[in-house]
Amino acid sequence: MLLSMKDVTTGYAKAQVLKDISLDVNTREIVALVGANGAGKTTTLQCIAGVIKPWIGSIHLEGRDLALFEPYQIVAMGISYCPEGRDVFANLSVYENLRIGGYLIRDPKQFKLHLDRVYSLFPRLCERRQQLSGSLSGGEQQMLAIARALMTNPNLLLLDEPSLGLAPILVEGIYNRIQEINASGTAILLVEQNVGLALDVSSRGYVVEKGEIRLSGTSAELRDSDYVKASYLGIA
Amino acid sequence: MGWYLAQQLINAFSYGSILGLLAVGYTMIYGILGLINFAHGEIFMIGAFVCFFLVTLYHVPWVVGALGAVAGSTVAGLLLERLVYRPCVKRKAPVLTVFIASFGASLLLRFLFMMFFTDRRRAFPIPELFEKMYFLGGVAIGLRDIIIFVTTIVIMSLVACFIKYTKLGTAMRGVSYDAKTAQLMGINSTRIIVAAFAVGSALAGISAIEYGLSFGILNPAMGFMPGLEGFIAAVVGGIGNVPGAMIGGFLIGVGEILFVALLPPALSPLRPLFVWALLFVILFLKPTGIFRPNVKFEGLWGE
Repeated sequence: MLLSMKDVTTGYAKAQVLKDISLDVNTREIVALVGANGAGKTTTLQCIAGVIKPWIGSIHLEGRDLALFEPYQIVAMGISYCPEGRDVFANLSVYENLRIGGYLIRDPKQFKLHLDRVYSLFPRLCERRQQLSGSLSGGEQQMLAIARALMTNPNLLLLDEPSLGLAPILVEGIYNRIQEINASGTAILLVEQNVGLALDVSSRGYVVEKGEIRLSGTSAELRDSDYVKASYLGIA
Repeated sequence: MGWYLAQQLINAFSYGSILGLLAVGYTMIYGILGLINFAHGEIFMIGAFVCFFLVTLYHVPWVVGALGAVAGSTVAGLLLERLVYRPCVKRKAPVLTVFIASFGASLLLRFLFMMFFTDRRRAFPIPELFEKMYFLGGVAIGLRDIIIFVTTIVIMSLVACFIKYTKLGTAMRGVSYDAKTAQLMGINSTRIIVAAFAVGSALAGISAIEYGLSFGILNPAMGFMPGLEGFIAAVVGGIGNVPGAMIGGFLIGVGEILFVALLPPALSPLRPLFVWALLFVILFLKPTGIFRPNVKFEGLWGE
């Protein structure tokens, strides 16, 4: 098992958001974390990335307790977090964004290798590498955010709402890339409001409601469950 | 009139250099820490004192004294970060607390120096060699002016290249723009803060030597006005924007000297008024400064 989250309760300041969340991610797996707006999906990812700490419960990455580390150290341990709403460094060029993404890589040859890899995954970014990232389209910014998170060659990629605000044709492109990234060996914990889409690409999934895990199972099971059909897929 | 103007421009350039170097320190530290380092003027003053002690009291070669000034300012800046700002950042202190701590550090340093060395003006050591003057038509150019000019151009080019092309410089711009996201890229913000204080304070040390060469004096309160004006230059240049701060410094320094030079002498006591009026007009027309700020404004200031 790569990542294991056990009975985590946490929140912001004094406002509790998550209650007893337990979830696992295995190596090379895509796991979907789905639910409505405000269910606690982003909070779960932030807790794994170390931005907030568990109040109760624990998170382990290959046996190491993540609560002991700062966000910048967790990146070095092999978890990359691609935040919701992209958050690219708008005042920096595409190349500079990727350079910051690869900040931890010391060896220039290694850096070049990873850079070439993300450029071949997203050729559009290579074409626009000198452009200010703030001037990119929404879809390109999403590509850049994912590419930036991939620069450290993570074992686990935390992807927060990659389809948010994108036209369907672009969403399809992004999801094809996500599957390619996974095929090259990176496990992905995918947060989505678009439940059908997330369950199509993932092998397992968790349904979060009001900060708790409501349902879990293989993606096929979830897709076929009456509850998910009625509440999330709009099939009576 | 032409010669007079040219002469004044030469004088103005030296003051612009001093402010520009100070402004870069303000803008770097503000961009990365999100606070005004009020003690930056004292970091500047400490550099001048180190050079004075080394050269005048201990008779070391001037160049060594000048390097000592840069080292002294850098060490002072790093200590300030370690002893005043880091404890605040660690405890997630409110902005107001850090503001007061910063102000307190500034006053403490200034008055400690006054206590030990009194507030009288001392002569800044200037090598005899530097007193050489060159005459070009009706303009007298001192070797000092040339040294200040060349030093500033070289140092600013180096800083601009560092910020633009190195990995650390790129990371500094990233943290300045959005520190929260930068930590998700594996950037240890404490290290970046230390780098900003080191570079900013070293530049303040260089600025102090230029001030000493230009005005020939030093005293514990010397950092106050240049510090304030350097800060304004940073705001005018778009906070967080390093080349903007350099240009802002020149605008204010040159503008201020020309204001005094071109208006009737009776108006020259109003010199500080010029700086504030310029700030007011610029911020009225362009609230974020002349150039694009390199910080992501949130909340009330959101775009």
